[in-house]
Amino acid sequence: MRTHLAILWSFTVPLAAQTQDFGKAYSFDERKPVSRVEQTIDHFLPSLVKVHGASGLATINAYATGIIVSKKGHILTLDQIMIQKDRTRVVLYDGSVHQAELLPEDPQLGVRLLRIDPALVSGELQPLWPGDEQQAGYRTGQFVVSLGNAFRLAEFSEKMSATFGVVVGRANTALRYRIADVKYDGDLILTDACNNQGHYGGGLFTLDGRWIGLNTRLLDSKETNTMLSAAIPVRDLLPYLEEHVLGKRPVEAKAAKEPPWTGVVLFQQAGRTSPPAYVDRVIAGSPADVLGLRPDDLIVRIDEYSIRSCRELREILAKYGAGDTVKVTWKRGTQVSQGELVLASEPKK
Amino acid sequence: MKQAIQLLTFGVLLTAGAAQQPIDPDEFLRLEPVLQAAMAKAAPFVVTVETFGGTRAVLGVDGPADGDAPPLPRPPKPPDEQPKPAPLPEPPVVPPEQVPPEGEQPKPVPMPGAPDADKEKPKDKDKKKIPLVAPGFQQTQGKTSGVVLTADGWILVSRFALNLDPTTILITVPGRGTFHAERAGEDTSRGIALVKIAATDLPVPEFVEPAKVRVGQFAFALGRTFAADEPTVHIGIVSARRRQFGRALQIDAYTSPANYGGAVIDVHGRVLGIAVPLSPSGRNAGVEWYDSGIGFATTIADIPHLLVRMKQGEVLQRGWLGVQFETSFLGPGAKISGTPKDGVAAKAGLRKGDILVAVDGVPVMNGPHFQMLVSSRMGGDPVRLEVHKKDEAEAVEMGPLVLADAPWSEQKQKKGDDLPASFSLPEKNEGR
Repeated sequence: MRTHLAILWSFTVPLAAQTQDFGKAYSFDERKPVSRVEQTIDHFLPSLVKVHGASGLATINAYATGIIVSKKGHILTLDQIMIQKDRTRVVLYDGSVHQAELLPEDPQLGVRLLRIDPALVSGELQPLWPGDEQQAGYRTGQFVVSLGNAFRLAEFSEKMSATFGVVVGRANTALRYRIADVKYDGDLILTDACNNQGHYGGGLFTLDGRWIGLNTRLLDSKETNTMLSAAIPVRDLLPYLEEHVLGKRPVEAKAAKEPPWTGVVLFQQAGRTSPPAYVDRVIAGSPADVLGLRPDDLIVRIDEYSIRSCRELREILAKYGAGDTVKVTWKRGTQVSQGELVLASEPKK
Repeated sequence: MKQAIQLLTFGVLLTAGAAQQPIDPDEFLRLEPVLQAAMAKAAPFVVTVETFGGTRAVLGVDGPADGDAPPLPRPPKPPDEQPKPAPLPEPPVVPPEQVPPEGEQPKPVPMPGAPDADKEKPKDKDKKKIPLVAPGFQQTQGKTSGVVLTADGWILVSRFALNLDPTTILITVPGRGTFHAERAGEDTSRGIALVKIAATDLPVPEFVEPAKVRVGQFAFALGRTFAADEPTVHIGIVSARRRQFGRALQIDAYTSPANYGGAVIDVHGRVLGIAVPLSPSGRNAGVEWYDSGIGFATTIADIPHLLVRMKQGEVLQRGWLGVQFETSFLGPGAKISGTPKDGVAAKAGLRKGDILVAVDGVPVMNGPHFQMLVSSRMGGDPVRLEVHKKDEAEAVEMGPLVLADAPWSEQKQKKGDDLPASFSLPEKNEGR
């Protein structure tokens, strides 16, 4: 298998060298875009690149998409296993192939910057940059175009795939879709414009010509088998881009807080399934006691997070620290109440 | 005459001109505000449904379904006769030093005396099964959606939301807060259920009569699963009408657990139907169709009498007469090939060889047509038949017969059976 790949690569290098003719042969630039959808696609395609990386395992796809973010050759893409030092190549709109240098990734967002040498690029790069709140804003029900190299259907200067749909909604992954390989906990743009392997790292654009999101992995809920295409809003990428492209100093991380303590003792059962978060006891004088929680109350929500089990309550509370204020919703009998609870740190014994 | 020809030519030219209209470059930009306005109008009455607890497994050996486990029998009782929760005793104050570490002392779960406690206990044999709703599809208690039915607190939800027989149902009405909900009746054939919350002056949607829906018109499927502040939306068109024996519209907007129970609206923000998992044969869960471009929106504008029965706690099912047809008999009429012993037809004296000529005055074309006519009715509905008995010269009137609920074996999917029962597939070896 390895030898086959090597042969393939030896063929592809001379092809890349003749990039200009190759590019022309596959160019459709004479056709004028008519609709807004076509205009959007044509406008943004030159800012997107194909990213090819190391493969090796059958299950790992050695391709993705990237977005040019500076004229100095910075390219933003989704950080994936296949992106490895000395083995990552970038294919520009005109079909030219460039070796990419790896910059530090952002483990929280799951994105990484690459850099190519702008001196080797014929013509000028057409970078995109996150706009202000209004420029990067989006609404549920807004039509969007998603661009990316889905399933590596496009090679060299062939145009990438465009998919069309609406913004389905805005969601926080933690609300329902907890999956291990996405650490990102901010809002995601959900869309029904299809987003498949290879599309990751591509962009999500509105019909009035704005860049609103970076395509990320399909949100695959093992619990319900529901799959949704998602994109990270561009505003959330800004701090990382500013640090590594513009060289701004990162904002100092806040000091870690002590783990939170509510004073609620949950009713727990031995067994695999975690029961709903019924209160078993409330420790006198604790934050929960001050709020008025009582035994047999059912805790159903912390802030906007639904709490369906004791396990989920622990998981969600772990996001907070002592001193934080959370909005607790609980049910007693048929009465649903809400109140604010100031988390404390656990009293020392 | 000449003038008429000129006019005709002019008309033809006009039509040709219309057909060659250039593409509207801003077509979708213009649709956006329409969609936004429809969503804004519909957002207040699309509610969030959350369920907690519940142990009943809904499962199938080789598949489905929302339908596979029969609904638990529930005696009809109006919700205001529900036992009131006993006042809670003063909580015992536990001194901090005596508190054992969290999670050491198991005790039986919920709230003695609370209304949740007197829910029916699941049967032991159901407990052992895995809560599968379709192959590879496991249902959990994610949020789903619902739609306000009346201003005094009746909420329509998908039966899917109640599959696990939850001990607690909470409904969040946007801008009004979260309410405890009591379960009332359901309609298994439409995949919907009713719950009641203690609220008044709720925003009520306008329901579109199914007869007025056009195939090809826009259909927006709203849901409340992901975000609390605004509904999610999937767009599509009405693919077909009168699915499920006239109980649902087919749409091509994605429907999934993310918007089951939510409203499917038109461009004016009026409700076309409620998104539910259904399947064409009406016998399996329908969840295997999720996100496939085949979705169903149950229509309810034409069933006010059924909603009255559901409010009283009745579990409604598809009507069943209990006849099988000779598939070789092509009509007119439907020839009976058998009548199951306990069926309504057998009890009424219908036998093999009799030909059913009309249902409530509508002439029967053939077996599938007869099944269509009967299956569009509910269990408990009366039906008049015109029957040509085997040994008699004239057709006779029968009835009214009261339809039974379709037995569960009739409704659930059998292995390899995805066609209505009235069609038989040729034997595998036939013609080879």
